[in-house]
Amino acid sequence: MIRILIVDDEKPICDLIDLNLSAAGYQCSAVQDGIQALSLIESRSFDLILLDVMLPGVDGYDIMEYIRPLGIPVIFITAKYEVKDRVKGLRLGADDYLVKPFDVVELVARVEAVLRRYHKTDSILSVEDVVVDVDGRRVTKAGRPVELTNKEFGLLVLFIRNKNVALFRESLYEQVWEGEYTGDSRTLDLHVQRLRKKLGWERRLAAVYKVGYRLEVPE
Amino acid sequence: MRFSRKLLLWTIIIMAISLGFSGFYFVNYVFETALTREIGQAMEESSILQFAFQTAALNVPVKYDVLSDQTIEQITDNLASGGSGRRLRVLDQQGQGIYTGDGFPDDKALLSQTDPVHDAYEIIRQEERCYIRTCTVIDVLNRTLYLETMRDVTEVFRERQLGFTVYRRVTLLMLVAGSVLMHGISSWLTRPIRLLTRATRRMAEGEYTYRARKVSQDELGQLTLDFNRMASALEENVGKLEEEIKSREDFVAAFAHELKTPLTAIIGYADMLRSRRLDEEKLFLSANYIYTEGKRLEAMSFRLLDIMVTKRSELQVQQVDVSQLFQYLSHMYQADHTMYFRFIYDPGSVRAEPNLMKSVLMNLVDNACKASEPGSLIQVTGRAEKQGYRFFVEDQGMGIPKEEQEKITKAFYMVDKSRSRSRNGAGLGLALCSEILTLHGSRLEIESQVGKGTTMSFLLPWEGQVTV
Repeated sequence: MIRILIVDDEKPICDLIDLNLSAAGYQCSAVQDGIQALSLIESRSFDLILLDVMLPGVDGYDIMEYIRPLGIPVIFITAKYEVKDRVKGLRLGADDYLVKPFDVVELVARVEAVLRRYHKTDSILSVEDVVVDVDGRRVTKAGRPVELTNKEFGLLVLFIRNKNVALFRESLYEQVWEGEYTGDSRTLDLHVQRLRKKLGWERRLAAVYKVGYRLEVPE
Repeated sequence: MRFSRKLLLWTIIIMAISLGFSGFYFVNYVFETALTREIGQAMEESSILQFAFQTAALNVPVKYDVLSDQTIEQITDNLASGGSGRRLRVLDQQGQGIYTGDGFPDDKALLSQTDPVHDAYEIIRQEERCYIRTCTVIDVLNRTLYLETMRDVTEVFRERQLGFTVYRRVTLLMLVAGSVLMHGISSWLTRPIRLLTRATRRMAEGEYTYRARKVSQDELGQLTLDFNRMASALEENVGKLEEEIKSREDFVAAFAHELKTPLTAIIGYADMLRSRRLDEEKLFLSANYIYTEGKRLEAMSFRLLDIMVTKRSELQVQQVDVSQLFQYLSHMYQADHTMYFRFIYDPGSVRAEPNLMKSVLMNLVDNACKASEPGSLIQVTGRAEKQGYRFFVEDQGMGIPKEEQEKITKAFYMVDKSRSRSRNGAGLGLALCSEILTLHGSRLEIESQVGKGTTMSFLLPWEGQVTV
């Protein structure tokens, strides 16, 4: 199991990240100040640290200096949007940067991206008889290979990583097509349609009225 | 052209004209005098020769009644050889030459001007030399003769020429020396202007602290002083403006930062609620966070509004009994048992807007509570002083470090952020207090020791008294 440390002085934000990352299958610990964070890093090992810059006690940049030799990937979370602040964080060795206010889907995607870079994600995902090899870009259903286009593959991975979460059309579009959602959802609907057909998931990939789609898997 | 150059140029022009004119006049005067003297001598010699001729003619043995040309010639020859370089010519009444000395010019211009009463003279130039030619009439033995003399005055003319040459040299020398001197003087005179110009340029390039050096006591020195005074006033204003802009930028940055945290929470939890099926517990947690963070935003926006309104409003002051304020305070905090409150006050009344004053006192007490451990003492004191009525709010909390005391009245500033936020502070209370106190002609005074506690106080002046 992948362990993530969340350091943010705001309890509501800590809980928000904790809830979402736990739902995505990570094991989270959250602390609210720098000194606690340092003692926790010393006593336990983590795969990823989400670090707020403005912290009481010891500030995020100082903690970063301490973490760097340990080789633990770090994502900075801050309300400072200015370029110089972002650059400073990245210079210090942060792997990514998340600016408040952020979207939960974006948070999960960035966490995944950083973990993938460190080869810490499970590269094999599975839902019942469908097995997805993320690194190998192979999909099999009941042992038989399924041919998917790039976009279909992206959609599938996103659905599996967010099981039982209603994914909004705009966030699906922004994550997979990597562009601004213009309100035209036909492309997206078409791709979901084909994915359903190829995998035989007509009922699994449920349309959510006025929202988008949800991959329904009994827990 | 530079001012010092202009000054120099005009000085040289005026110097050259005056030197040239006076030199010419002087040399010419000397020449005229010398020439007049020479003419006088020439005329004198002419009349002496006339007399000598007549005498000689009368002494000739009389053979004839009429003087013969030959005799005339002889007499003239004697006269001519009587003085060195003397040149003579004798003509008869018709202008026919009887005797002509060496190099005597061959014209009769003078004859017409000469009569027995008046002698005539003229100045002639011959082969680079100058002469005075005189003409006089000799009546002797029934003959009328014209006697002409020539006197060499080349020297006088040469002297004039020499005078001009010398004078030209002197003038040139004077001009050169004058120019050098004047150059120095003009650049010394215009030095304050140059220094002032340099200061202006430096300031235009943004170096607002640069000042011109005062080097003279005259009007230019005064100008330099005035300029520097103006620059100081400008610098002060620019500084004030920059400070204002800086504080406004800080405010916006702090505001944006303070806004983002509750927004992130509200957006995140709302997103969870709409896209996920949550169990009862998580549902409540999310909804509660949305509610509390929304409340925080609300409190912040009201406080901000208060500050804006206070900044713009006209103050309606009235006499307020101090006991009324303290009763209100003790009433407000009587239900609060987490702290130990004590209110002590001298009787009296102050000039203030009662609601704003209550707001100030409540904010100060709230701040004191936030900085203190539960159960410690918060004391509010009112004391009648010589200059006015002073309010103290004392706590035994964590105190404020010296370097933070200045910033504490800035909007969104919090000494201990996590602690302050956990008690729903937005960092706006003291900013509001200081706005209100400014309207009342007062200001917040802070005395604090880290770890021991803080005393905030302000003085409301008695009517008619002005505090700084």
